[in-house]
Amino acid sequence: MSTVPEIHRFTSIRPPKVTFIGATAIAALGLIVGSWVFVLGADRVQSQPFFSVETLERGGRFLQALLGIGSSSTPAFAQWAAWQDTARLAYQTLAMSVLAIGIAALIALATFMFGASNIMRGELAPYRSWVWGSGFFVVRAFYTFTRAIPELVWAMLIIFMFAPGLLPGALALGIHNAGVLGKLSSEVVEGLDTRPLLALRSSGAGRFQVLAYGVLPQALPRFITYLFYRWELIIRTTIVVGFVAAGGLGLEFRLSMSYFHYTTVTLLLIWYLVLVVAVDLIAAVLRRMAR
Amino acid sequence: MSLASLESSRTEAAQAVSLSGLSKAYGPIEALAPLSLTVAAGETVAILGPSGSGKTTLLLLLSGQLGPSSGAVTLVGREIAQLSPGKELAQLVGMIHQQFDLVPNISALHNVLAGRLGEWGLFKSLVSLVWPQDRPMGMEALARVGVADRAELRAGRLSGGEQQRVAIARLLLQDPAIVLADEPVASLDQARAGEVIRLLVRIARDSGKTLISSMHSVELARAHFDRLIGLRNGIVQFDLPSSQVADDMLLALYDIKGLRRED
Repeated sequence: MSTVPEIHRFTSIRPPKVTFIGATAIAALGLIVGSWVFVLGADRVQSQPFFSVETLERGGRFLQALLGIGSSSTPAFAQWAAWQDTARLAYQTLAMSVLAIGIAALIALATFMFGASNIMRGELAPYRSWVWGSGFFVVRAFYTFTRAIPELVWAMLIIFMFAPGLLPGALALGIHNAGVLGKLSSEVVEGLDTRPLLALRSSGAGRFQVLAYGVLPQALPRFITYLFYRWELIIRTTIVVGFVAAGGLGLEFRLSMSYFHYTTVTLLLIWYLVLVVAVDLIAAVLRRMAR
Repeated sequence: MSLASLESSRTEAAQAVSLSGLSKAYGPIEALAPLSLTVAAGETVAILGPSGSGKTTLLLLLSGQLGPSSGAVTLVGREIAQLSPGKELAQLVGMIHQQFDLVPNISALHNVLAGRLGEWGLFKSLVSLVWPQDRPMGMEALARVGVADRAELRAGRLSGGEQQRVAIARLLLQDPAIVLADEPVASLDQARAGEVIRLLVRIARDSGKTLISSMHSVELARAHFDRLIGLRNGIVQFDLPSSQVADDMLLALYDIKGLRRED
């Protein structure tokens, strides 16, 4: 039986192992090379090559137009009156984003605990009935539905009900983000440390009291972090829902593009920059306060 | 406490805990062999034994968090299986763990006041999250455990020893007849561990509560508890007043050789 250890020794020799990082690097390199081959080679069959003198010229002209070079009139971003006009739109956009995140926060805050499997079906469940347990699927289905439909599509649908304006835009953004916020927050609850919760339970707290004293305080800081993150995202997305007549900077952006008011487009982009930076700063301050 | 007084209290005082033929098996593995014993009201008992000897299993059975495979637990004359798991059980028995008893994001005071949740309705407990109710009671408990100055700090910011003190303060408000502790100081350094155990035992004695604690440190157990129970492989090796536990019994209890039981 001298072959047994022989076989054992043989099978214990393994080929060099391909690590995950190594495989990823090889795949990334392949993709980069492959896509450039496609762009430079195969793309020639299309009417427009990727690199061409025309593309470059068009790009250059558009950039000049944005900056107001070669135009006889003063560019919009250099006119005080234009800044004053658009400031009102920026304020509207900010208002729309605040309304939208408010709607999203209210819906998510009211529902996220019911979207957590440990509360609805697991060890923290107040009731063991199938009615309570199926609530989990209802809430999660609601999140999936609202999240799956993009803000722009929600806006297009809601415009049918309301007159064009800030409110339908805010509603569209709010509904979509309610699903996103709700799902993220439910998952925070599912990941909570249950030891303090079970300790509360054993010290006499009822199941709903455990939610109020254990689950909510532990989930809230993360909820607030997500809230500010989504708020910043909403500010940027107002430009998209603005396209379908939902007011603010977004609507003005589309109109300016249509009327070839390129320097106004530049001005609006500057406003977006200002808004995003402002929201970032406000969020940072509020987050520090919440901590 | 002398042996004589202990003996008399054990026979005369009301029984806080009575176990009859209590055992627990996890599948084919017997974690606790059938065990019968009584603990008198006001007694302080330490359970000793190497890891895996069944200390935690015994405490979980006593707290009603685990159902026995056979036998019964009677707490202050009431069988545990007959008690509803919420408030009713919490009035009889409270538990403190090695750590992670507190909710880290709320203040020490709120954590302590959570000991009142069994008494409060849902509305009052919600109001209390904004305007703390029964605040003097909570502050008094925090003062008794020596961390009144930490009342407004979030529990997660406190040191390990302070957190255990807050957990003890919560037990004071919960006010159960029996306090169970599962290695309450195992995650603390020696000096802190000694302080917290002294505090726990003193509070139990002062308020006439029965204390049953699994202990990691033999020295602390011997120095502070009335009675020691040695567990090994789920079988009680000794059950004696602390003063009667000899060194060789403890050596045998923790002896590595023969720890693995032969089936």
